Amino acid sequence: MHQALLTLGFGLVAAAILALSALAFTLEYSVTNVANLSHGEILTVGAYCAYVVQQHGGGVALSGLAAAAGGGVLALAVHEGVVDRFVRRGIGGLPTFIATLGVSLIIQNVLVVIFGGGNVGYQVPQGAPHTIGPFLWNDTEIQIMVSAVVITALLYVIIQHTRFGKSLRAVSQNRSLASVSGINAHRVAALTWLLAGLIAGYAGFIYAESLGTLSPTFGFQYFLITLTAAVAGGLGRALGTLVGAVIVGIALEFFGGYLSASYNLAFAFAILSLVILVRPRGLFVGGRRSVFE
Amino acid sequence: MTTLLEVAGLSKHFGGVYAVDACSFTAAEGEVTGLIGPNGAGKSTAIDLLSGFKMPDAGTVLFGGKAIQGKAPHRISRMGLIRTFQTPREWPALTVLENLILAPFHPRREMFWRSLRGPSKAEKERAAGELTRARAILEEFDLVGLRNERAGNLSGGQKRLVEFARIRMAEPRLVVLDEPMGGVNPVLGERMATAVLGFVSAGTSVVIVEHNLPFIERVTDQVVVMAEGKVIAEGPFDSLRSNQAVVDAYLGEMPSYDDADA
Amino acid sequence: MIDQLINDLTQTAIFAIMSLGLNVVWGWSGDFDLAFYGYVAIGAYMTLVLTIGPPLDPSSSYILAQKFPFPIAVLLGTLSAMVLGLVVGAIALRHLRGIYFSIVTLGAVYVLSTFASQFVPLFNGYPGLSGLVTPMADVLGIDYASYQYFYFGLCVVMLAIVVIGVTRLSSSRFGLALRTVREDERAAAVFGRDIYRLKLKAYVIGAGLGGFAGGLFAGFLTAFNTSAWSPLETVTLYAAILVGGRGSIRGVILGVGVMVLLLQEATRYLPEVPGHPDWTPAFRLILTGLVLVLFIRFRPQGILPERRMRDGKPPRRGGKTAEAVSEPQPVAGPALDTGVA
Repeated sequence: MHQALLTLGFGLVAAAILALSALAFTLEYSVTNVANLSHGEILTVGAYCAYVVQQHGGGVALSGLAAAAGGGVLALAVHEGVVDRFVRRGIGGLPTFIATLGVSLIIQNVLVVIFGGGNVGYQVPQGAPHTIGPFLWNDTEIQIMVSAVVITALLYVIIQHTRFGKSLRAVSQNRSLASVSGINAHRVAALTWLLAGLIAGYAGFIYAESLGTLSPTFGFQYFLITLTAAVAGGLGRALGTLVGAVIVGIALEFFGGYLSASYNLAFAFAILSLVILVRPRGLFVGGRRSVFE
Repeated sequence: MTTLLEVAGLSKHFGGVYAVDACSFTAAEGEVTGLIGPNGAGKSTAIDLLSGFKMPDAGTVLFGGKAIQGKAPHRISRMGLIRTFQTPREWPALTVLENLILAPFHPRREMFWRSLRGPSKAEKERAAGELTRARAILEEFDLVGLRNERAGNLSGGQKRLVEFARIRMAEPRLVVLDEPMGGVNPVLGERMATAVLGFVSAGTSVVIVEHNLPFIERVTDQVVVMAEGKVIAEGPFDSLRSNQAVVDAYLGEMPSYDDADA
Repeated sequence: MIDQLINDLTQTAIFAIMSLGLNVVWGWSGDFDLAFYGYVAIGAYMTLVLTIGPPLDPSSSYILAQKFPFPIAVLLGTLSAMVLGLVVGAIALRHLRGIYFSIVTLGAVYVLSTFASQFVPLFNGYPGLSGLVTPMADVLGIDYASYQYFYFGLCVVMLAIVVIGVTRLSSSRFGLALRTVREDERAAAVFGRDIYRLKLKAYVIGAGLGGFAGGLFAGFLTAFNTSAWSPLETVTLYAAILVGGRGSIRGVILGVGVMVLLLQEATRYLPEVPGHPDWTPAFRLILTGLVLVLFIRFRPQGILPERRMRDGKPPRRGGKTAEAVSEPQPVAGPALDTGVA
């Protein structure tokens, strides 16, 4: 029982990282209806920004800010340079999805050219473990979870209680209707991607902290897990995504802890396929989608 | 008149709402049967149910005496029931001629191994015959000049005609037309009416859902009126004008005759 | 110089077979399959494991170690890829379309590569398999110096056979039925097509061609492991199809030629920077990504778009007998400039 609770504790850390990554992905999807295959690279770029700052003697806070900034700039660039252009030209969701795969390939390999293809270490002082209730967390893990909760709460306030949030919700429900009613949909979408980029960049930073290492492909590999959480929660639904991330994060930790960590990706895929096949609209929405219905 | 399509007790609900509620009607061989009713009467759901695009909760659909409810769309199509949709569904990157040639389904000719061997002499002859027939039908619809055009490049009305031509090519026993006048320039009305009657003379019976009542009056032999998922009246169009239930359901829309919007 | 050219051309022929397989799935049937490289990998692994025999190092062992003749191994590799394609396709094509299909196939290829690199009894884990040197050389009595010409010839002949096959399929009723499914599934179903079965058939054919090309690739590379194929390799094949023209056979072959030459030539004159062995492949992948994005944006139909049937002669009003004698066959005419992507 004790062991299970410890694993649950680590699962909560994993879930915190996953929640931020998946929420950012969902935000991107909600305003453009494009599943961004280069989402993983936002995390990677964020993590490398943090790495560079750390190499120059910057502290944890500065590294985190740099990661968010790097992610934000990249997400905005991908939106302005590719996604928005393609969507506005009437290039459909699937071709744009393919184009984001091209973007992913470009970013990964630019990083290879700059930083080399291998893993680089990202060590932060983890601090002594604290016993909190039945859980055992060190300073970094507490920082990860607290910051994730704060960011999620901030995001909730932004979406629910600001004018921008209202526009965001309008655009995600029906972009053309929102445009007709006087909302600058392009600006809202761009700002949403910027916001998503800030969050995803920061998620890359805390993911690197928890892994202790990063490489040009680490975000892409994490992307499948992100997708699992986002699809489990229902693509484009923020609250569902959050719940999906917590469930998937904890499930993966238990799978890795009790069975085999090397097969984590395979396990994530098993969840993903099951969810997509059985409840393609997410776990929390009723109804089954077939090809015609 | 023999009955071709017999719908009995067909029901479908979404959540707690019955879109189609114990709906029963028949359509006779060699006739044009209209299916009308106010918006939300369940006409489109009824079509989806009898063509296999939605699963009925209850009820039976007999087509030529065989039960077809709950079968997959392609199985129903192979039995000779073809439907259209509210928007034309051409194959946009294929040419108009290809759209016609691919309308008839030939299971043996579409087999993988047979296709891999290359066209046999018999296949070439069949293809040539098909081409001739497709051209003749296109001529009838005044589309022959557009035969090499990609179907996706045509106007809405032309796409509708291609769809009609495609059905003529496939020669089903029954065609179910879902609002064929929707989005079509009213100038084409007479032409569409001729086309619908043309189906009957070519041996294809017709069930037609349409809001345009003058059009319904012009082409149908029998009319089925639906409201709130139920059939409320059945008979020739003229007999329905004095039917109080029908008039009530339409809330006085019936006599105005200019309700052409879809 | 000439050796390098033969090398490039052999690779082009093998990639052309792969791309033609992927073209059946994406070009004709319309499914954006991210698992495709998995079928190439299975074909390559099976060919290796069935030809090189048990490992020299007795401490490692893997299943199926045989010393079959090369052609039989390639055939079994192709069949394995088809079986795998049948399983993945049967699950993924049942209800999923668009990005959901792509996501599931992406997941499937990740699982395959995870198992291939972690699970040693299957294909020896991360180091992979090696040692398939000059297959069939001793049987046919070919010396080492001329072997690469032989293997080039073999690949070209195989490509020619594949091209004849897919060309027949392309204009056949089967190939056209796939196009109706790609263009509008509902309309295809309304006109009698069993879209699930059609898509599944196309998927298995594609997987088979991928596995077949994988077998030839194994003979070309002499070895295979997971670092030789990231799932992203599929993207290079998509770039080739997109450049040439989705759905079009001559387009796909042209696209593969352009991509192989572009990637080889554009990076050939880059100076080798000491300490940066990753740079050349990285530049190639950057170039691939750029090609993908730019073609989707500016020329989605590719350089040689899919050709459509063109009925040249005006229709005649004469009787049927007159027409039956001189009925013109459908002639493929110049391509129309409309996109299909």
